[in-house]
Amino acid sequence: MTGTAIISALAIWAAGWFINARLANSAAANTRLVRLLVPAIFGLTLLIMWELLVRLLEVSPIILPPPTMIADRFANEIPTLWADFVQTIVKGAMTGYIIGMLAAFGVAILADRSDFLTRGILPVGGFMAALPIVGIAPIFVRWLGSDWQSKAAVVAVMVFFPILVNTVAGLRDTTAMQRDLMRTYGAGYWPTLFKLRLPAAMPFIFNGLKIATTLALIGAIVAEFFGSPTVGMGFRISTSVGRLALDMVWAEIVVAALAGSAFYGLMAWIEGRVTFWHPSQRK
Amino acid sequence: MKKMMMAAAMAAGLGGMAHADAHANDVTLQLQWVTQAQFAGYYVALDQGFYEEEGLNVTILPGGPDIAPPQVLAGGGADVMLNWMPSALAARERGLPVVNIAQPFKTSGLMLTCWKDTGIETVEDFRGKTIGVWFFGNEYPFLSWMSQAGIPTDGGEEGVTVLRQGFNVDPLLNREADCISTMTYNEYGQVLDAGVSEDELVTFMYEDQGVATLEDGIYALEENLEDPVFVDKMVRFVRASMKGWKWAEENPVEAAGIVLDNDETGAQSEAAQIRMMGEIAKLTAGSNGALDPADFQRTVDTLLAGGSDPVISAQPEGAWTSVITDAALN
Amino acid sequence: MKSVLPVLTVIGAILLFWIVSVVPMNMHLTADLAQRQDIVVTPDTPVARQEYSGIGLALRNPQLFGMTYTLERPRLPSPHQVVVEMWNTIALQNITSRRSLVFHGWVTLSATLVGFVIGTGLGILLAVGIVYNRAMDMSVMPWAIASQTIPILALAPMIIVMMGAIGIQGLFPKAVISAYLSFFPVVVGMVKGLRSPDGMQLDLLRTYYASPAQGFWKLRLPASVPYLFASLKIGISASLVGAIVAELPTGARAGFGARMLVGDQYGQPLVTWAALFAAALTAAALVGFFSLVERWTLRRMGMQAV
Repeated sequence: MTGTAIISALAIWAAGWFINARLANSAAANTRLVRLLVPAIFGLTLLIMWELLVRLLEVSPIILPPPTMIADRFANEIPTLWADFVQTIVKGAMTGYIIGMLAAFGVAILADRSDFLTRGILPVGGFMAALPIVGIAPIFVRWLGSDWQSKAAVVAVMVFFPILVNTVAGLRDTTAMQRDLMRTYGAGYWPTLFKLRLPAAMPFIFNGLKIATTLALIGAIVAEFFGSPTVGMGFRISTSVGRLALDMVWAEIVVAALAGSAFYGLMAWIEGRVTFWHPSQRK
Repeated sequence: MKKMMMAAAMAAGLGGMAHADAHANDVTLQLQWVTQAQFAGYYVALDQGFYEEEGLNVTILPGGPDIAPPQVLAGGGADVMLNWMPSALAARERGLPVVNIAQPFKTSGLMLTCWKDTGIETVEDFRGKTIGVWFFGNEYPFLSWMSQAGIPTDGGEEGVTVLRQGFNVDPLLNREADCISTMTYNEYGQVLDAGVSEDELVTFMYEDQGVATLEDGIYALEENLEDPVFVDKMVRFVRASMKGWKWAEENPVEAAGIVLDNDETGAQSEAAQIRMMGEIAKLTAGSNGALDPADFQRTVDTLLAGGSDPVISAQPEGAWTSVITDAALN
Repeated sequence: MKSVLPVLTVIGAILLFWIVSVVPMNMHLTADLAQRQDIVVTPDTPVARQEYSGIGLALRNPQLFGMTYTLERPRLPSPHQVVVEMWNTIALQNITSRRSLVFHGWVTLSATLVGFVIGTGLGILLAVGIVYNRAMDMSVMPWAIASQTIPILALAPMIIVMMGAIGIQGLFPKAVISAYLSFFPVVVGMVKGLRSPDGMQLDLLRTYYASPAQGFWKLRLPASVPYLFASLKIGISASLVGAIVAELPTGARAGFGARMLVGDQYGQPLVTWAALFAAALTAAALVGFFSLVERWTLRRMGMQAV
């Protein structure tokens, strides 16, 4: 039985790979459709292999449920999943993301005015960014209570540093010629900032914002493990493990992956609109 | 060539024998929480050589907040687990056939601890208050109780707002919750350690409220209990474990010391473990390891009476066996 | 070296802010404690005190300031309390004792390093595959990005149980989780690095009639070294976080994560804070080590680090 399972799984893998290889090397490789199709086929191949191996090897659903069971649970629990999504992502992660982002911008501009501050803040900020979130989260829950505010605070702290570093790097990215040009126009600090340096910094800033999207999600979910009201993705995942409802755990993971990818995609789209002039945006 | 084949055959034979030997004498026990005096009996049995006397080679795996013992048992990572009965019965309904083979804990140590100045005096006063509840298997007694008392658990003026309590007593101390779940042997002591005096608190013991359920029991998988070698192993294991429990009851301070020696984190404090052992001894006294069918039925009745959201939906069949304890204690 | 003064200034400012914040953060607990010791507190019931913020309560009770710095279970420990706790568990303990933070640090570090090696190895292989094979590039990259959105704290117990089911326990499952968190920065960095040689350089190699393998070893790989080091630094701290996160589902036995958890559960916040700072210092030391290696390597390769 094990032998059949492994051979069929490998066969599916080979089939999927073959299709993808043909598509990727075909003439239509650069079209939008193929670019979406190839990862989709890859993902589908993995799902089929998963389903096959779990069913044929008779793995207990308490250890790893098959994708069909997860999909079934997902479809049946949409109200719960939605409530969890609002609590964790909208209230916790997004609020924290915006707070962290604004704080990072503020500190970056402050640091920009003073080289002394920059050289002080960056190393110290690096140390603070190394504090593992698993340690910070319970402390924030103790300080701010179990509701979404503590989750937002954890997220704000987590996203602050990547955005700060990237913004500072971006603000420094203008060449001397460009800055001299602004001086010939008689532009002071603030006009130069808004008309030259901030737009020039946008590619770096968005790099930081994209990294921060995944951090925000993870921060909000992890913080919920340490105390929460009876709603929220972290809460649901943790209690579902306790109740051996592994299919619910995976349904929540699917929501997290979808939300994270959507958030990242949104940032990438905004980046495309704002930094249309940058070489990396050339098709 | 022939010599090599002979050597290989002998090695395989010996290996096979060793494997068979391991099967008959190796036991892995999955605890349901981190190393603490709640599990003193097993650590004592290991330390004092009771397991060795029975010819057993026992490995004790500590648990933690992310470990669901039924899941470890299902995955084959352990031979036996400790679990509370509501959680084990719920696991049975979910398709994991765990069977209670011994019940060292006779009474329940679960309680709710509330601030007296919130005006709470009876269960009815819970309405409109915030109550901290652990999840991960410990929520069943509470949900059952509230269901029987007719108090909704989704907040509002007429119901209780349930807070998922982390594993400490801070929600009470910083007044985020009006009441929190505590065990007599652990968190209640922590509240007192934080400087709170007993007359500032109002407590509700689940035993007194008639909604107590059986706690730490020893469970194994049904399919393993069909193997006579496994059953024999379990008989010896239970016998030695109960010997460990009775020793711990009589020597609480030494038992606490043994637990501390086995604590890999080095973060437990002696005073807390001695106090814990003292309280645990009250829960294990009165049990010789055999599950009392009346206790079992009382737990099942409490869980079935859960009204709109019962923990289990039917009287469990074959959820416990006295085969092991009958052989072990006679 | 010229950064020493600014860094010290910033650290000093943060320390000052910390020391001042201890008072309002601990004031409610201190007021409760003081009242039980029959010290006069304004207002005099806990319920009435709930109406005030930490700062408001602090302004009304200056006599309690000193007590806020010496609580056993502080909400915000004072810096000296954290330093004393770290000193007690690092310098005053036998290194092999379970009460020593050095011992726990080694437990976490060993899982981190093994996981980091696996993650980096895997990441480099994946990056090479992505750069040289179009099918891999189009199919794997989006999923690698999506994999980072899956909360590791949810997957970690599953990975541990599944590995336990096939008999693998101890260090290796923790290393797998560390590897999971560290492989992605390495993939991203190496892909960027392997693709960084520009058109002119690639053409030059073609004029030398270099095979793709030679092109890889002589151009692409060396060109990717600065990007590799940037990713390694991110990867090692992600690996450390992974090892700490993995310690929770393995039963909180040893390691920084275990200390943080047990400290949190048994009302000993100083244990948690000491472990937290020790973990951050470890991460800083690891990143610093890689910075030194980077500077040495790039100098030897003739690509002076910027």
